[in-house]
Amino acid sequence: MVRRVVLAVLVIVALGLLTISFRSPTSGALHDAQSYGASALRPFQVAGVRVARPFRDAYNYVDSLSKAKTDLAKYKKLTRNYRAQALLNAGAVQKLSDLERLMRYESGPTYPKDFRAVNAAVLSFPSGSDSEQIVIDAGTTLGVRLNTPVVSADGLVGRVTTPGRTTSVVTLLTDPDSAVPARDLKTRVSGLIRHGQGGTLILDRVPKNEIVNKGDWIVTRGTVDRRYPDEYPYGIPIGRVVAVGTSDIASFLTVQVQPLADVDSLDSVAALVPKGK
Amino acid sequence: MSVADGLKAAALLFVAAIAQVSIFSQVDIFGGVPQLVLVTLVAVALLRGSVAGAIAGFFAGLIVDTATLGQLGLTSLVLTVSGYWIGRYGETTGRDRGHAPFSSVAVITVLYAFGVLLVHFMLGEPAPAGSVVEALLPTIVMNLILTAPVYALVRVLLRPRDRTDYATEVQLLG
Repeated sequence: MVRRVVLAVLVIVALGLLTISFRSPTSGALHDAQSYGASALRPFQVAGVRVARPFRDAYNYVDSLSKAKTDLAKYKKLTRNYRAQALLNAGAVQKLSDLERLMRYESGPTYPKDFRAVNAAVLSFPSGSDSEQIVIDAGTTLGVRLNTPVVSADGLVGRVTTPGRTTSVVTLLTDPDSAVPARDLKTRVSGLIRHGQGGTLILDRVPKNEIVNKGDWIVTRGTVDRRYPDEYPYGIPIGRVVAVGTSDIASFLTVQVQPLADVDSLDSVAALVPKGK
Repeated sequence: MSVADGLKAAALLFVAAIAQVSIFSQVDIFGGVPQLVLVTLVAVALLRGSVAGAIAGFFAGLIVDTATLGQLGLTSLVLTVSGYWIGRYGETTGRDRGHAPFSSVAVITVLYAFGVLLVHFMLGEPAPAGSVVEALLPTIVMNLILTAPVYALVRVLLRPRDRTDYATEVQLLG
Protein backbone atom coordinates (compact mmCIF):
# COMPACT_ATOMS: atom_id res chain seq x y z
CA MET A 1 0.00 0.00 0.00
CA VAL A 2 2.75 2.42 1.05
CA ARG A 3 4.73 1.81 -2.08
CA ARG A 4 1.72 2.54 -4.27
CA VAL A 5 1.07 5.76 -2.42
CA VAL A 6 4.69 6.78 -2.80
CA LEU A 7 4.56 5.96 -6.50
CA ALA A 8 1.32 7.85 -6.95
CA VAL A 9 2.62 10.90 -5.13
CA LEU A 10 5.85 10.95 -7.11
CA VAL A 11 4.02 10.50 -10.41
CA ILE A 12 1.58 13.28 -9.53
CA VAL A 13 4.44 15.59 -8.54
CA ALA A 14 6.28 14.76 -11.75
CA LEU A 15 3.15 15.39 -13.79
CA GLY A 16 2.63 18.65 -11.94
CA LEU A 17 6.18 19.75 -12.67
CA LEU A 18 5.76 18.70 -16.25
CA THR A 19 2.51 20.60 -16.61
CA ILE A 20 3.87 23.80 -15.08
CA SER A 21 7.08 23.52 -17.05
CA PHE A 22 5.17 22.88 -20.25
CA ARG A 23 2.79 25.81 -19.73
CA SER A 24 5.49 28.35 -18.91
CA PRO A 25 8.77 27.05 -20.35
CA THR A 26 10.64 30.37 -20.23
CA SER A 27 9.28 32.17 -17.20
CA GLY A 28 7.77 31.62 -13.80
CA ALA A 29 8.96 30.48 -10.41
CA LEU A 30 9.62 26.92 -11.52
CA HIS A 31 11.71 28.10 -14.44
CA ASP A 32 13.68 30.37 -12.13
CA ALA A 33 14.19 27.52 -9.68
CA GLN A 34 15.35 25.29 -12.54
CA SER A 35 17.76 27.99 -13.68
CA TYR A 36 19.20 28.29 -10.17
CA GLY A 37 19.45 24.52 -9.98
CA ALA A 38 21.22 24.39 -13.33
CA SER A 39 23.64 27.09 -12.15
CA ALA A 40 24.32 25.10 -9.00
CA LEU A 41 24.95 21.96 -11.04
CA ARG A 42 27.15 23.74 -13.56
CA PRO A 43 30.42 23.35 -11.57
CA PHE A 44 29.83 19.62 -11.28
CA GLN A 45 29.16 19.40 -14.99
CA VAL A 46 32.31 21.39 -15.75
CA ALA A 47 34.28 19.11 -13.44
CA GLY A 48 32.79 16.11 -15.21
CA VAL A 49 33.73 17.51 -18.59
CA ARG A 50 37.28 18.21 -17.41
CA VAL A 51 37.68 14.74 -15.99
CA ALA A 52 36.40 13.22 -19.18
CA ARG A 53 38.40 15.49 -21.49
CA PRO A 54 41.62 13.41 -21.63
CA PHE A 55 39.60 10.28 -22.37
CA ARG A 56 37.54 12.10 -24.96
CA ASP A 57 40.69 13.55 -26.54
CA ALA A 58 42.22 10.08 -26.67
CA TYR A 59 39.04 8.70 -28.21
CA ASN A 60 38.87 11.55 -30.71
CA TYR A 61 42.52 11.01 -31.60
CA VAL A 62 42.01 7.30 -32.25
CA ASP A 63 38.75 8.00 -34.04
CA SER A 64 40.24 10.69 -36.27
CA LEU A 65 43.24 8.46 -36.97
CA SER A 66 40.91 5.69 -38.00
CA LYS A 67 38.87 8.09 -40.12
CA ALA A 68 42.04 9.48 -41.68
CA LYS A 69 43.12 5.97 -42.63
CA THR A 70 39.72 5.24 -44.09
CA ASP A 71 39.78 8.56 -45.96
CA LEU A 72 43.27 7.84 -47.23
CA ALA A 73 42.18 4.48 -48.62
CA LYS A 74 39.10 6.11 -50.13
CA TYR A 75 41.07 8.93 -51.74
CA LYS A 76 43.69 6.51 -53.02
CA LYS A 77 40.93 4.54 -54.69
CA LEU A 78 39.46 7.76 -56.10
CA THR A 79 42.88 8.78 -57.40
CA ARG A 80 43.27 5.40 -59.10
CA ASN A 81 39.85 5.78 -60.70
CA TYR A 82 40.56 9.34 -61.84
CA ARG A 83 43.94 8.30 -63.23
CA ALA A 84 42.32 5.47 -65.17
CA GLN A 85 39.65 7.88 -66.39
CA ALA A 86 42.30 10.41 -67.40
CA LEU A 87 44.13 7.71 -69.37
CA LEU A 88 40.88 6.73 -71.06
CA ASN A 89 40.21 10.37 -71.90
CA ALA A 90 43.72 10.83 -73.25
CA GLY A 91 43.23 7.70 -75.38
CA ALA A 92 39.89 9.03 -76.61
CA VAL A 93 41.48 12.38 -77.50
CA GLN A 94 44.21 10.57 -79.38
CA LYS A 95 41.62 8.45 -81.19
CA LEU A 96 39.65 11.56 -82.04
CA SER A 97 42.77 13.14 -83.45
CA ASP A 98 43.44 10.03 -85.57
CA LEU A 99 39.85 10.01 -86.79
CA GLU A 100 40.06 13.69 -87.72
CA ARG A 101 43.23 13.04 -89.69
CA LEU A 102 41.57 10.08 -91.36
CA MET A 103 38.57 12.24 -92.26
CA ARG A 104 40.89 14.89 -93.71
CA TYR A 105 42.65 12.21 -95.76
CA GLU A 106 39.34 10.86 -97.01
CA SER A 107 38.27 14.30 -98.17
CA GLY A 108 41.74 15.19 -99.49
CA PRO A 109 43.00 15.20 -103.08
CA THR A 110 45.04 11.96 -102.77
CA TYR A 111 42.04 9.89 -101.78
CA PRO A 112 40.96 7.53 -104.60
CA LYS A 113 37.64 8.83 -105.88
CA ASP A 114 36.23 5.49 -107.00
CA PHE A 115 36.29 4.12 -103.50
CA ARG A 116 34.24 4.77 -100.42
CA ALA A 117 35.81 4.57 -97.00
CA VAL A 118 34.57 2.14 -94.38
CA ASN A 119 36.01 3.51 -91.17
CA ALA A 120 36.93 0.89 -88.61
CA ALA A 121 38.57 0.67 -85.22
CA VAL A 122 41.57 -1.58 -84.75
CA LEU A 123 40.65 -4.37 -82.35
CA SER A 124 44.00 -6.12 -82.05
CA PHE A 125 47.59 -5.41 -82.97
CA PRO A 126 50.46 -7.41 -84.40
CA SER A 127 51.82 -9.75 -81.76
CA GLY A 128 53.97 -12.36 -83.44
CA SER A 129 57.14 -12.00 -85.46
CA ASP A 130 55.99 -14.44 -88.15
CA SER A 131 52.99 -12.52 -89.35
CA GLU A 132 52.04 -8.87 -89.19
CA GLN A 133 48.28 -8.69 -88.98
CA ILE A 134 45.62 -6.62 -87.28
CA VAL A 135 41.92 -7.17 -86.73
CA ILE A 136 39.47 -4.39 -87.59
CA ASP A 137 35.79 -4.09 -86.67
CA ALA A 138 34.44 -4.01 -90.20
CA GLY A 139 33.41 -6.98 -92.26
CA THR A 140 31.41 -8.17 -95.22
CA THR A 141 28.23 -6.56 -93.90
CA LEU A 142 29.85 -3.20 -94.64
CA GLY A 143 31.16 -4.24 -98.02
CA VAL A 144 34.63 -5.36 -97.01
CA ARG A 145 35.93 -8.17 -99.19
CA LEU A 146 39.08 -10.20 -99.65
CA ASN A 147 42.03 -7.99 -100.70
CA THR A 148 40.20 -4.77 -99.82
CA PRO A 149 42.94 -2.13 -99.30
CA VAL A 150 43.18 -0.64 -95.84
CA VAL A 151 44.62 2.81 -95.22
CA SER A 152 45.30 5.10 -92.31
CA ALA A 153 45.51 8.89 -92.37
CA ASP A 154 49.21 8.55 -93.21
CA GLY A 155 49.00 6.05 -96.01
CA LEU A 156 48.61 2.43 -96.98
CA VAL A 157 48.44 -0.06 -94.13
CA GLY A 158 47.75 -3.37 -95.86
CA ARG A 159 44.91 -5.45 -97.27
CA VAL A 160 42.13 -7.63 -95.95
CA THR A 161 43.17 -11.28 -96.05
CA THR A 162 40.38 -12.83 -93.98
CA PRO A 163 37.05 -11.01 -94.19
CA GLY A 164 34.47 -11.88 -91.56
CA ARG A 165 30.90 -10.75 -91.10
CA THR A 166 31.67 -7.95 -88.69
CA THR A 167 35.44 -8.13 -88.28
CA SER A 168 38.29 -8.72 -90.70
CA VAL A 169 41.95 -9.65 -90.56
CA VAL A 170 44.26 -7.20 -92.30
CA THR A 171 47.73 -8.27 -93.37
CA LEU A 172 50.05 -5.32 -92.99
CA LEU A 173 52.63 -4.03 -95.44
CA THR A 174 55.31 -5.17 -93.04
CA ASP A 175 54.20 -8.81 -93.24
CA PRO A 176 56.81 -11.07 -94.92
CA ASP A 177 54.20 -12.33 -97.40
CA SER A 178 53.00 -8.88 -98.39
CA ALA A 179 53.74 -7.52 -101.87
CA VAL A 180 52.29 -4.29 -103.21
CA PRO A 181 52.89 -2.91 -106.72
CA ALA A 182 54.24 0.61 -106.24
CA ARG A 183 55.96 3.40 -108.08
CA ASP A 184 58.22 6.33 -107.46
CA LEU A 185 56.00 9.37 -107.67
CA LYS A 186 58.76 11.51 -109.16
CA THR A 187 60.65 9.20 -111.52
CA ARG A 188 57.65 6.91 -112.18
CA VAL A 189 59.80 3.85 -111.68
CA SER A 190 57.73 0.81 -110.70
CA GLY A 191 58.57 -1.95 -108.29
CA LEU A 192 57.16 -4.20 -105.62
CA ILE A 193 56.96 -3.09 -102.00
CA ARG A 194 58.05 -5.89 -99.72
CA HIS A 195 58.93 -6.39 -96.11
CA GLY A 196 62.40 -5.14 -95.24
CA GLN A 197 64.71 -5.12 -92.23
CA GLY A 198 63.93 -3.37 -88.95
CA GLY A 199 60.35 -2.38 -89.71
CA THR A 200 61.23 -0.79 -93.03
CA LEU A 201 60.12 -1.73 -96.53
CA ILE A 202 62.02 -2.29 -99.73
CA LEU A 203 61.02 -1.36 -103.24
CA ASP A 204 61.97 -4.59 -104.97
CA ARG A 205 62.30 -5.44 -108.62
CA VAL A 206 63.69 -2.09 -109.71
CA PRO A 207 66.21 -2.60 -112.53
CA LYS A 208 69.67 -1.17 -111.98
CA ASN A 209 69.33 1.17 -114.90
CA GLU A 210 66.34 2.96 -113.38
CA ILE A 211 66.68 6.05 -111.24
CA VAL A 212 65.32 6.26 -107.72
CA ASN A 213 66.42 9.07 -105.44
CA LYS A 214 66.58 9.30 -101.71
CA GLY A 215 63.60 11.26 -100.42
CA ASP A 216 61.27 10.26 -103.26
CA TRP A 217 57.67 9.44 -102.38
CA ILE A 218 56.46 5.91 -103.10
CA VAL A 219 52.76 5.39 -103.86
CA THR A 220 50.62 2.50 -105.04
CA ARG A 221 50.91 1.87 -108.76
CA GLY A 222 47.26 1.09 -109.45
CA THR A 223 45.90 -0.70 -112.47
CA VAL A 224 48.15 -0.48 -115.52
CA ASP A 225 46.37 -2.96 -117.75
CA ARG A 226 42.60 -3.34 -117.46
CA ARG A 227 42.87 -7.03 -118.13
CA TYR A 228 44.82 -7.33 -114.92
CA PRO A 229 43.22 -4.92 -112.46
CA ASP A 230 45.25 -4.16 -109.38
CA GLU A 231 43.75 -4.53 -105.91
CA TYR A 232 45.14 -1.16 -104.86
CA PRO A 233 43.99 2.09 -106.49
CA TYR A 234 46.62 4.45 -107.78
CA GLY A 235 48.25 7.07 -105.59
CA ILE A 236 47.91 5.84 -102.03
CA PRO A 237 51.04 7.02 -100.19
CA ILE A 238 53.21 4.16 -98.95
CA GLY A 239 56.46 5.67 -97.79
CA ARG A 240 59.57 7.63 -98.54
CA VAL A 241 62.89 6.40 -99.92
CA VAL A 242 65.53 6.52 -97.20
CA ALA A 243 68.39 4.70 -98.97
CA VAL A 244 69.27 3.49 -102.47
CA GLY A 245 72.00 0.97 -103.05
CA THR A 246 73.34 -1.45 -105.63
CA SER A 247 76.00 -4.08 -106.09
CA ASP A 248 77.85 -5.53 -109.05
CA ILE A 249 76.30 -8.98 -108.83
CA ALA A 250 72.68 -7.86 -108.08
CA SER A 251 70.19 -7.41 -110.91
CA PHE A 252 68.05 -4.87 -109.05
CA LEU A 253 68.52 -1.76 -107.01
CA THR A 254 68.20 -1.98 -103.23
CA VAL A 255 65.68 0.72 -102.38
CA GLN A 256 64.88 1.08 -98.72
CA VAL A 257 61.53 2.73 -97.94
CA GLN A 258 60.35 4.11 -94.62
CA PRO A 259 56.59 3.43 -94.35
CA LEU A 260 54.40 6.42 -93.61
CA ALA A 261 51.84 4.54 -91.57
CA ASP A 262 52.94 3.58 -88.07
CA VAL A 263 51.46 0.11 -88.01
CA ASP A 264 52.35 -0.47 -84.38
CA SER A 265 50.05 2.25 -83.06
CA LEU A 266 47.01 2.24 -85.26
CA ASP A 267 43.73 3.11 -83.63
CA SER A 268 41.47 3.60 -86.58
CA VAL A 269 41.75 2.78 -90.26
CA ALA A 270 39.61 2.91 -93.35
CA ALA A 271 38.87 0.04 -95.68
CA LEU A 272 38.57 1.19 -99.30
CA VAL A 273 35.50 -0.41 -100.82
CA PRO A 274 34.90 0.22 -104.53
CA LYS A 275 31.84 2.38 -105.10
CA GLY A 276 28.83 0.57 -106.49
CA LYS A 277 29.74 -2.72 -104.80
CA MET B 1 16.23 1.71 3.56
CA SER B 2 18.42 3.48 6.09
CA VAL B 3 19.43 7.10 5.93
CA ALA B 4 23.00 6.10 5.16
CA ASP B 5 21.81 3.96 2.26
CA GLY B 6 19.64 6.82 1.07
CA LEU B 7 22.57 9.21 1.11
CA LYS B 8 24.78 6.73 -0.70
CA ALA B 9 22.12 6.11 -3.32
CA ALA B 10 21.56 9.85 -3.71
CA ALA B 11 25.29 10.45 -4.14
CA LEU B 12 25.53 7.63 -6.65
CA LEU B 13 22.63 8.90 -8.69
CA PHE B 14 23.85 12.48 -8.49
CA VAL B 15 27.25 11.48 -9.86
CA ALA B 16 25.59 9.27 -12.47
CA ALA B 17 23.25 12.08 -13.54
CA ILE B 18 26.07 14.63 -13.81
CA ALA B 19 28.22 12.13 -15.71
CA GLN B 20 25.26 11.40 -17.95
CA VAL B 21 24.62 15.02 -18.96
CA SER B 22 28.26 16.10 -19.15
CA ILE B 23 30.04 13.02 -20.49
CA PHE B 24 27.87 10.15 -21.67
CA SER B 25 25.34 12.25 -23.57
CA GLN B 26 28.11 13.19 -25.98
CA VAL B 27 29.09 9.60 -26.69
CA ASP B 28 27.35 8.51 -29.86
CA ILE B 29 28.09 5.05 -31.17
CA PHE B 30 25.94 3.95 -34.12
CA GLY B 31 23.28 6.42 -32.95
CA GLY B 32 23.11 4.95 -29.44
CA VAL B 33 23.94 6.80 -26.24
CA PRO B 34 24.97 4.92 -23.08
CA GLN B 35 22.57 5.66 -20.20
CA LEU B 36 24.58 5.54 -17.01
CA VAL B 37 21.82 7.08 -14.93
CA LEU B 38 19.34 4.41 -16.06
CA VAL B 39 21.76 1.58 -15.32
CA THR B 40 22.54 3.04 -11.88
CA LEU B 41 18.85 3.40 -11.15
CA VAL B 42 18.25 -0.24 -12.10
CA ALA B 43 21.02 -1.33 -9.73
CA VAL B 44 19.66 0.79 -6.85
CA ALA B 45 16.10 -0.36 -7.46
CA LEU B 46 17.08 -4.03 -7.66
CA LEU B 47 19.02 -3.80 -4.40
CA ARG B 48 16.66 -1.54 -2.45
CA GLY B 49 13.19 -2.22 -3.78
CA SER B 50 10.33 -0.39 -5.42
CA VAL B 51 9.92 2.58 -3.07
CA ALA B 52 13.61 3.37 -3.14
CA GLY B 53 13.57 2.79 -6.90
CA ALA B 54 10.71 5.22 -7.43
CA ILE B 55 12.24 7.92 -5.23
CA ALA B 56 15.68 7.38 -6.81
CA GLY B 57 14.15 7.63 -10.28
CA PHE B 58 12.36 10.84 -9.40
CA PHE B 59 15.49 12.33 -7.88
CA ALA B 60 17.75 11.32 -10.79
CA GLY B 61 15.24 12.60 -13.33
CA LEU B 62 15.00 15.91 -11.52
CA ILE B 63 18.77 16.37 -11.66
CA VAL B 64 18.92 15.45 -15.34
CA ASP B 65 16.08 17.79 -16.26
CA THR B 66 17.52 20.61 -14.17
CA ALA B 67 21.04 20.22 -15.52
CA THR B 68 19.89 20.13 -19.12
CA LEU B 69 17.23 22.82 -18.60
CA GLY B 70 14.83 20.40 -20.19
CA GLN B 71 11.14 19.85 -19.61
CA LEU B 72 11.10 19.63 -15.82
CA GLY B 73 9.34 16.48 -14.64
CA LEU B 74 9.56 14.59 -17.92
CA THR B 75 12.57 12.42 -17.10
CA SER B 76 11.43 12.24 -13.48
CA LEU B 77 8.08 10.79 -14.54
CA VAL B 78 9.56 8.06 -16.72
CA LEU B 79 12.39 7.20 -14.32
CA THR B 80 10.01 7.07 -11.35
CA VAL B 81 7.86 4.46 -13.04
CA SER B 82 10.97 2.63 -14.28
CA GLY B 83 12.53 2.56 -10.80
CA TYR B 84 9.30 1.34 -9.28
CA TRP B 85 8.86 -1.51 -11.76
CA ILE B 86 12.46 -2.68 -11.46
CA GLY B 87 12.20 -2.43 -7.69
CA ARG B 88 9.11 -4.64 -7.72
CA TYR B 89 10.89 -7.11 -9.98
CA GLY B 90 13.84 -7.17 -7.56
CA GLU B 91 11.55 -7.70 -4.60
CA THR B 92 9.73 -10.62 -6.21
CA THR B 93 10.90 -12.76 -9.12
CA GLY B 94 14.19 -11.03 -9.76
CA ARG B 95 15.83 -11.67 -6.39
CA ASP B 96 18.78 -14.07 -6.28
CA ARG B 97 18.84 -14.28 -10.05
CA GLY B 98 22.23 -13.57 -11.58
CA HIS B 99 20.82 -12.30 -14.83
CA ALA B 100 18.36 -9.93 -13.15
CA PRO B 101 20.49 -6.75 -13.61
CA PHE B 102 21.10 -7.50 -17.28
CA SER B 103 17.56 -8.46 -18.18
CA SER B 104 16.25 -5.48 -16.18
CA VAL B 105 18.59 -3.07 -17.97
CA ALA B 106 17.66 -4.48 -21.39
CA VAL B 107 13.92 -4.27 -20.71
CA ILE B 108 13.99 -0.90 -19.00
CA THR B 109 16.11 0.60 -21.79
CA VAL B 110 13.34 -0.24 -24.24
CA LEU B 111 10.55 0.91 -21.91
CA TYR B 112 12.39 4.11 -21.05
CA ALA B 113 12.94 4.95 -24.74
CA PHE B 114 9.31 4.40 -25.61
CA GLY B 115 8.15 6.06 -22.38
CA VAL B 116 10.01 9.27 -23.21
CA LEU B 117 8.73 9.02 -26.77
CA LEU B 118 5.17 8.64 -25.52
CA VAL B 119 5.39 11.65 -23.19
CA HIS B 120 6.84 13.79 -25.99
CA PHE B 121 4.05 12.61 -28.26
CA MET B 122 1.39 13.44 -25.69
CA LEU B 123 2.88 16.89 -25.21
CA GLY B 124 2.62 17.46 -28.93
CA GLU B 125 6.37 17.64 -29.39
CA PRO B 126 8.36 15.93 -32.15
CA ALA B 127 8.51 12.18 -31.42
CA PRO B 128 10.68 10.51 -34.08
CA ALA B 129 9.96 6.84 -33.43
CA GLY B 130 12.15 5.72 -36.34
CA SER B 131 15.35 7.21 -34.96
CA VAL B 132 14.51 5.94 -31.46
CA VAL B 133 14.09 2.39 -32.79
CA GLU B 134 17.30 2.64 -34.83
CA ALA B 135 19.27 3.75 -31.78
CA LEU B 136 17.71 1.18 -29.48
CA LEU B 137 19.97 -1.79 -30.19
CA PRO B 138 23.29 0.04 -29.77
CA THR B 139 21.93 1.72 -26.66
CA ILE B 140 20.93 -1.64 -25.16
CA VAL B 141 24.36 -3.08 -25.96
CA MET B 142 26.17 -0.13 -24.35
CA ASN B 143 23.91 -0.22 -21.32
CA LEU B 144 24.55 -3.94 -20.92
CA ILE B 145 28.28 -3.28 -21.08
CA LEU B 146 27.88 -0.71 -18.29
CA THR B 147 25.68 -3.00 -16.21
CA ALA B 148 28.31 -5.32 -14.74
CA PRO B 149 30.70 -2.65 -13.35
CA VAL B 150 27.91 -0.31 -12.25
CA TYR B 151 25.97 -3.06 -10.52
CA ALA B 152 29.13 -4.32 -8.81
CA LEU B 153 29.91 -0.80 -7.55
CA VAL B 154 26.37 -0.18 -6.32
CA ARG B 155 26.34 -3.60 -4.69
CA VAL B 156 29.49 -2.69 -2.78
CA LEU B 157 27.95 0.57 -1.56
CA LEU B 158 24.47 -0.77 -0.95
CA ARG B 159 24.78 -4.23 0.54
CA PRO B 160 22.00 -6.62 -0.50
CA ARG B 161 19.29 -6.85 2.12
CA ASP B 162 18.59 -9.90 4.25
CA ARG B 163 16.08 -12.41 3.00
CA THR B 164 13.67 -11.32 5.69
CA ASP B 165 13.48 -7.88 4.14
CA TYR B 166 11.96 -9.22 0.96
CA ALA B 167 8.27 -9.90 0.52
CA THR B 168 7.42 -13.28 1.92
CA GLU B 169 3.93 -13.56 0.54
CA VAL B 170 2.13 -12.49 -2.59
CA GLN B 171 -1.47 -11.47 -3.05
CA LEU B 172 -3.24 -13.22 -5.88
CA LEU B 173 -5.38 -10.87 -7.89
CA GLY B 174 -8.47 -11.77 -9.88
